[in-house]
Amino acid sequence: MSLLSRVADRIYWGARYVERAEDTARIIRSYSDLIVDLPTDVPVKWEPLVALTGNSVGQGNVDQPLGETEVIQLLLAEPSNSGSIVSVLSRARENLRTTREVLPREAWYTLNGLQQYVASESERAVARRTRDRYLGRVIDESRRLDGVLESTMTRAAPYYMWRLGRLLERADMTTRVVGVRAASILRLQALNLPDDYDEVQWMAALRSVSALQMYQRATRGPIEGPSVVRFLLYYAPFPRSVLGCLEEMRAVVSLLPPRAEVISAIDWAIKALLASEPDTSEGALLDAAMEAFQQALAEIGETIHAHYLSVPDSDSTPSMGGVTR
Amino acid sequence: MDELFEADGITPRPQARGLVAHLEQIGLEELRDRQQVAELDILTMGITFTVYSDGANIDRAWPFDVIPRIISGLEWAKVERGLSQRLRALNAFIDDIYNDQRIISEGVFPLELLNGSSNFREQCRGVHPALGVWAHISGSDLVRDEDGQFYVLEDNLRVPSGVSYLLENRAVSKRVFAELFQSYSIRPVDAYTDELNKLLTSLAPDGVRDPQIVVLTPGVFNSAYFEHSFLAQRIGAELVEGADLTVGIDDCVYMRTIEGLERVHVIYRRIDDLYLDPEVFSVDSMIGVPGLMRAWKAGNVGIANAPGAGVADDKVVYAWVPDMIRFYLGEEPLLPNVPTYRCMYRDECEYVIEHIAELVVKPANESGGYGIVIGNRATEAQLAATIEAIRADPRNFVAQPILALSTMPTLVDTGIAARHVDLRPFILTGRSSYVTAGGLTRVALVEGSLVVNSSQGGGSKDTWIVDLHPSVGA
Repeated sequence: MSLLSRVADRIYWGARYVERAEDTARIIRSYSDLIVDLPTDVPVKWEPLVALTGNSVGQGNVDQPLGETEVIQLLLAEPSNSGSIVSVLSRARENLRTTREVLPREAWYTLNGLQQYVASESERAVARRTRDRYLGRVIDESRRLDGVLESTMTRAAPYYMWRLGRLLERADMTTRVVGVRAASILRLQALNLPDDYDEVQWMAALRSVSALQMYQRATRGPIEGPSVVRFLLYYAPFPRSVLGCLEEMRAVVSLLPPRAEVISAIDWAIKALLASEPDTSEGALLDAAMEAFQQALAEIGETIHAHYLSVPDSDSTPSMGGVTR
Repeated sequence: MDELFEADGITPRPQARGLVAHLEQIGLEELRDRQQVAELDILTMGITFTVYSDGANIDRAWPFDVIPRIISGLEWAKVERGLSQRLRALNAFIDDIYNDQRIISEGVFPLELLNGSSNFREQCRGVHPALGVWAHISGSDLVRDEDGQFYVLEDNLRVPSGVSYLLENRAVSKRVFAELFQSYSIRPVDAYTDELNKLLTSLAPDGVRDPQIVVLTPGVFNSAYFEHSFLAQRIGAELVEGADLTVGIDDCVYMRTIEGLERVHVIYRRIDDLYLDPEVFSVDSMIGVPGLMRAWKAGNVGIANAPGAGVADDKVVYAWVPDMIRFYLGEEPLLPNVPTYRCMYRDECEYVIEHIAELVVKPANESGGYGIVIGNRATEAQLAATIEAIRADPRNFVAQPILALSTMPTLVDTGIAARHVDLRPFILTGRSSYVTAGGLTRVALVEGSLVVNSSQGGGSKDTWIVDLHPSVGA
């Protein structure tokens, strides 16, 4: 079975959009947890959340930072924000709607249902009271969709393209969760406050990627910055760790038509990851390290585009002319 | 006439006895429940069509009426033979028109018609598609008059749509009337996609055993996208858009896959031929494939339907189909045309203008029921405008008597009432012919209306071709 590049592109991006929606939900949860745990006399800032989820505030008033409602509205329900949960899920739905020939029917039903839920509930979910339920549903349905594909989809190129989209987006997300923590350190440093809340906050970071239990089993030790960061970045057996995602991507790519450029981009990212040792005490350094990883991941994305999702025109002589089927 | 009842309006026709008895037994309330179940099925199965309205594309649930239309197998056999005869003659005509033009030199068909035809493609002159067939997949619209005779109203030879709904209607109706499917001997319709697959395979270039077949769609915004996707799934073909295909320097067609370029052997195109190849048809098209005509002419790709096939799909050319059957096949037509006045001839044109209030006037090249003026329903102003249009471009118009289309009992708000119907069977023409068992019955849901098009408020019904055994329905 062949896979059209255009169809591959829609599946790959469909996977990235779904993962992005799930991850945005996770980060909002995690950040909300952190905020709640801060001492009451510390002024609460919501705006950093916008950048952390890869969004931008747009032309807002610089002197008047966005408050909780505005930020959550922007990330959940704002149709003009291309990164809002509503926006990414409706794009994911469009991608799956146009690839129904290759995906199992239940996958389409699941995403169609989630998109309809999100389209009608996002505005309401801006309120704190209903928000958590909403975020939980987005996370759960996203995982259910993966379950449908995992258990019913033929292992062939379309499935691998889906995995690739998921894994790349997920690796990026884990670096952002560490970034949330970095922002919090910075914040407390700026206020000259002692970081009394260290353990609680690292615990929240682990929770946001459903990693707390697995971390405790793996380390059997206290919850401390350096150890948590090591776990989230390097502990490959944990499937949401950055290294775990990269290694799985490498395995998935080896099942697709071979492309040396993509493999070497992944290898390069793994090497860069292993060579670094992010400093967890300095917020600025930690943040910079995560940004560097995000850059390496973006480069993997570019090679996937160049070598799988766009096919050069016919003036290059077709290498397999007439022979393949 | 009514499809299910004799002229007295109460005696069911022999083939309808079982159904009528069943409907009486279950009663109106239960029938409404079944209608609801059917509509729910259609929603969950995602059977939709797209309408363009108020500047937006809306995906609408397919309108379906549960009461099936029943035609006896004996009667249908005549229609089948008539349709395959008709398509053989139409294909011979297209092949002749693009090659020797014998029918013109022998004075049977007027040359001036060709010159004024917007569906004649000069670029197809001299091409010999495999098997001499151009219109491989066609859908002919049939109607019945008071006398019960089937007439061909028009032939759709370009990109006829509706076959997916025919197949889905059956799937829904099997669930709604499961018990009747046990007592009736109803001809299955599912063989269509398999026959389509065989036909497309037979169009592969010489020597290709296991061809790569693709369905070429204009994209998700097209009103028939559901059908394009449906057919691609059923025949295991790739659903491609123009930008997925490219023609190489070797004049072969390739599709862009993640493994690189892969050869394509057969294209079932669902886009109009003017948009197929911007290199040739000088229409600025984003949905076409530059070089496609080169590849087709070189015999490197099969295209169904062949570009140019639409030359015979013209409401004016239609009037000559009986002559084509006599000319190419030496046979008498088995299925009659509706009598047609051709405005290009002065006497017929004068007749049309004088009797315009009793006639249906049709422009030559519109589809979907657009541009049709029904004389006894149009306002004075509309009629005057139509006369003006005919005088300005007589070649572009034909007129036909207003037929009293047959009716079918249909479930409406007030109960069961008669509504007008037509029938679109689909015909596959390749090495041999295949006609769907029945066709897509379209129903005008508004009382008295003759407009059955789904884009204009029409509905649909399942159509059963039943073979009556002495024991059934007696």
